[in-house]
Parts: sequence; C-alpha cells; structure tokens
Amino acid sequence: MKKSEPLSESYYYILLCLAKGANHGYGIMQMTEELSKGDVKIGSGTMYGATSNMMKKGWIREIVSDGAGFERRRQYQLTDSGRDILRAEIKRLKRMLENAEEV
Amino acid sequence: MANKYKYSFALHSAWNYQNEVEEMDKYSENGWQLVKAALFHRKYVKNDKIRYRYQLDFRRIEDKGRYIETFREQGWEYVDSTINGWHYFRKIYDPSLPEEEYEIFTDRESFNAMKKNWARIALVIAIFGGIMALIYGIKLIMVPSVPFLLLFLTFLIEFSVLFRGVLIMRAKESKRKRNRYRDSVLITVFFLTIILGTSSGISLAGKRPNITVNRIPEANEESVNNERFGDFEVKYPDNYFLDLGIESKDPMTFEVVNEKGEAVYKITDTSFHEDDIRLNLKKGTYYFSMSCDTYYNLNCNIN
Repeated sequence: MKKSEPLSESYYYILLCLAKGANHGYGIMQMTEELSKGDVKIGSGTMYGATSNMMKKGWIREIVSDGAGFERRRQYQLTDSGRDILRAEIKRLKRMLENAEEV
Repeated sequence: MANKYKYSFALHSAWNYQNEVEEMDKYSENGWQLVKAALFHRKYVKNDKIRYRYQLDFRRIEDKGRYIETFREQGWEYVDSTINGWHYFRKIYDPSLPEEEYEIFTDRESFNAMKKNWARIALVIAIFGGIMALIYGIKLIMVPSVPFLLLFLTFLIEFSVLFRGVLIMRAKESKRKRNRYRDSVLITVFFLTIILGTSSGISLAGKRPNITVNRIPEANEESVNNERFGDFEVKYPDNYFLDLGIESKDPMTFEVVNEKGEAVYKITDTSFHEDDIRLNLKKGTYYFSMSCDTYYNLNCNIN
C-alpha cells in the first residue's frame, strides 16, 4: 500500500465509527461526539463531503438497510481498503504518540 | 386566507455569502420565512410562529436523496437550490442550543473544499472573460470603435471582479470585514455592467452600416461622372472603416459624401488598395461617389 496523507479528523472519526459495523450518518455523528467527549463534531456539509469522497476512493460503501419508514435508511459500511487506511492511520498516530513519550 | 409574500432582490457575492445567511436569519426573526431561492432574488412567506437559522452549501450533488438525508439527520430542512449550485438549508432555531449546532462545516478542510469548488468554476468563467477581453482589446487597437470599447471594458470588469473573487475564496482565511450594504451594491453594479455592457456593445455593433459595392464597367459604358451609389446611414458618431480598391486607366475620383453634399473622404488615383481607412463620421446619411473616364474595377466596403 502506498504511503497516504494523514487523515483529517472528520475522515478519521467516520472510519473509526464504522469499524465495528455499518452505521448511518446520524449514528456516526453521535458516536463521534461520544468518543471525543464533545470535542469533535461532524456537521452535515462536512459529513456529506467526507462520505462522498471516501465512497469515491472506495474506503466506504453505501448500503440501504431493509425496514419500513424511519428504519429504512442509508448506512455506510467500511470496505477492506477503508479498513487498511484506518489501520495505517492508527499505526501512524500510535507511533507519533510513542515518539512524544520518548522525548 | 391568501399568503403574504415578500421578495428580496439584494444580491450578495459568493465570497461574502454569509451576508445572505444573515439576511435570511434576519427575515426569519421578523417572521418572514424563505420559500424560494433564485439567482437574483429570494421569496419569503409570512409566518410569525416559527424562527429558523439558515445555511448555504455550494456543490455539485451526485445523489440528491443522500444529500438531503444527510442534512435532515441533523435537523436541517432542505429549502431550495439555485441553478448555479447553491443549496439552501434551515433549522428551527432553539436559543438554548449552542451556536455550533447551526454550522454545517465543522472543519477547515471541508469548508475550504467548498470554497475551492466554487473558485474552480468561477475561474473558468473568469478566464473566459479574460480571453474575450483580450480578443476585444486587440480588435479595439486594430479597429478603434465604440462597440469594441464597450465589450472590451465589460469583459475586463467581468474578469477582474471574478478573478478577485477566486483569490478571496482560495485564501485559507478571510480577514476582511464584511459590509452587507456595500457588497450588495457592488454585486448589483457588477451584474448591471455585464448585462448593459454586452447588450449595448452587441446592439451598437449591429447598428453599423455594412455596405459592399463591387463595380465593373458595363458593356457600352464610356465614362461615369459623379455617380452616386451605396447610400448608408450612420446611427451614432464613431470611427468607421473603409476598404477601398481602385483599378483604372484614367485617374478615378472616389468620394464619401455626407447629406450636405460635402466630401468627408476623397481620393484620386489609378491604382489604389487599402483596408481599414479610418473615417470619423457623425450621425447622418452618406453615399459614395465616383468619376472616371476609363476604369476596370472599383470595390469598396464600409463598416
């Protein structure tokens, strides 16, 4: 895999929130707020732009879940390459953190 | 009961689009709610029972269903879009919520990407204007006349205003102070200049005479003496351009004559070829006149 650019905070959290399974936009937004204890928010414009881009890159894909009414909605799912990107980013962040502790 | 509507024709520049958001917020506070957003105006309906906060997004949407759903998930109602790609959203205002609940961009990257996206499209239009300004600039130097001057200035203004907008939108951080009133006036003047400049330039260009005469002697024609031909009308004072070609055995006199019978241009020669002879003509009617004993060919064009 080629060395990629560091992910933006929004991209990173979206991928992270999908690591355990598919989720919809609102779920990702809530989970991000919970994980970051309110520090990171993903607004609608940011969310649409990031999900569109990551779908183009093939990191996530869209699935429409079965169910009636409100339950029937779009969800996003991590792809294999998206999982690789997330792993590489976590590794990079870990290394940066370890380096900070060494100094 | 009939609905009460109100229209706002205040134009805002894309690089100060927050002015438009402020306008819509202000209207909503006063009980006027947006129903339609177009390129040059917005339509509001009276409803005092609710108050919204607005946001604008600029992008080319690939999947409108997913787009609207992504906004709806966070309480944003899609209102309308303009033809050039601005999308209008609103959220019911709750004073107890923090201000960031009314933001749609929560990081620098996505906000800059939106602005860059606008800048990319505007740059194409600006470059088009720049090329047109260059073309009309060259034409103006070669053929100095009012329509070319108007078109040159119009495209030059289009290019410079849009290019400046592109630079502002591409800048990472804008530190300028926004002035809603001044921005509205500037953008209105900008659009009026483009519309009036191009339409009057094209209409003046269409009003110019375009007379071409190619005259060769008829079979038994001996000579011509002060023959009048090619009457044309000048509708506005400007430089007009004469292309003239004379071939004759005896010297030919060619004149451009005004309605008082005065020659505004006169030449006597046996062989003469020249394009774009500049004649500064006033409003009025004119005609050509020729005199010659033996000639072979005369051709002339005025435009």
